[in-house]
Amino acid sequence: MKKYLILVLMVFICACGSRQQFPDWKETAFRNFENYKKNFLNDREGVSEPHFVKVKQALSDGNDLNLLAKIYLTKYALHTAVLEDFDDSEFVRINKLEPGKSNIAYFNFLKGNFTAVEDNFLPSIYSSFVKIARNKDTTKAFAEVNSIDDPLSRLIACGIWIKHFSYDENILQLAINTSAENGWKRPLWAYLIKLQKYYLDHGETAKAQNINKRLDVLKN
Amino acid sequence: MKREVKVGLFIVCTAIIICVALLYLANEKGFFARNYTFTLSSQSGDGFTEGMPVEFSGFTIGKVQKLELNDKGLVLIKIKIPQKHLKWIKIDSTFTLYRPLIGAARIIVTTDNLKSAALPEDKIPEVQIVNDINDSIEKVQPLLDKVTQIAENLERVSSKIDVMAGKADVHVFGSEGTMPQVNKILKDVNGKLERLNPTVDNVNKISTEASEGLKDIGILRSNVDDTLNAVEDVAKGVDSIISRKKEPEIKLP
Repeated sequence: MKKYLILVLMVFICACGSRQQFPDWKETAFRNFENYKKNFLNDREGVSEPHFVKVKQALSDGNDLNLLAKIYLTKYALHTAVLEDFDDSEFVRINKLEPGKSNIAYFNFLKGNFTAVEDNFLPSIYSSFVKIARNKDTTKAFAEVNSIDDPLSRLIACGIWIKHFSYDENILQLAINTSAENGWKRPLWAYLIKLQKYYLDHGETAKAQNINKRLDVLKN
Repeated sequence: MKREVKVGLFIVCTAIIICVALLYLANEKGFFARNYTFTLSSQSGDGFTEGMPVEFSGFTIGKVQKLELNDKGLVLIKIKIPQKHLKWIKIDSTFTLYRPLIGAARIIVTTDNLKSAALPEDKIPEVQIVNDINDSIEKVQPLLDKVTQIAENLERVSSKIDVMAGKADVHVFGSEGTMPQVNKILKDVNGKLERLNPTVDNVNKISTEASEGLKDIGILRSNVDDTLNAVEDVAKGVDSIISRKKEPEIKLP
């Protein structure tokens, strides 16, 4: 009886298993892509770039231009999130060979061409935000950005808003808090410096000095 | 005709022909010609020799037969001129002793008017002397003076250079000169380089060890890679057994 019970248990365990396997290039690309994003946000440029190169190599091995375009768009989004400019030539080159509506929509979104963005093809997380951006409704911007659940998407929305519209310290503080909560050094510094400049531009030197001292402390 | 007669006739004819030939040659050489002797004078006998040629327009027309010294201390030069060349010796002919820089000395006869009367044998014209060697020496003399002056200047400059060399010797090789100091510096540098030798050896040793260590690291890395690949395979196996893993997907953030 005992032998039968063990046999049934083994059959049950084996029945739970399956032999689903994914291509190596896809797994390699995904793993390196996640590492690239993490190291970029942690301001480890020397480590992040090799990961990006590996992602490119893996996707090239898989002959997937759509995914290749996506990783370049992600790279541009990360640069936008840390308030940096980006060179879009690679995406334009790939997009000419294999145009994708979702990619073009995201590209227009990053470039600030909100009227050209097709809402259906943009990630749903930005659907409300893009409407506000299209209407340039600054009063609702903070609340809308704050409602974005994903911290990286929230930072990207902050970056886009700061780049293309007038902003207040609330949205900068939101970006700072988001960066700090996730331990992302690169956007944290970018938004702290931006906030310092904001205070200086608005004549609030004491607050600006306070930010400067905070940066000195954080540097060490 | 007998044989003896023929032989005798041949010998006689041969002898006659030889004699005629000799006479002809002797006549051509002036053996039978009459020679005239003229006497010339000179203050000095320097450059005159017996047998010296007498030339007219580059052709030899006679030679010096004898040299004598008269009671007045003059040198008398007797020249012998054959009759056929007598026409070149006139009363207004001038006689010049020509001593070239290269070649033998000779007496040159110059006659401006060949229609003048012949020179009497008792008249004693004086020989003019042209001396190429002396003329050359006179011309070279200023050059020699200049050369001498240059040599003196060179000597003076050389003496100054000697003095300067002496001073330089003191400055360069003296007890407080440059060279001893350079030697001292070189010795110091040499000593320091010798002290550096062990350091360089150590560096080489370290470099060799590091090189060997890098080889080890290469092997270690390949081992780590193998291990990681094995772990990755196991993880994939576990994933596939558990079957909870979603397909990796790259999404836009």
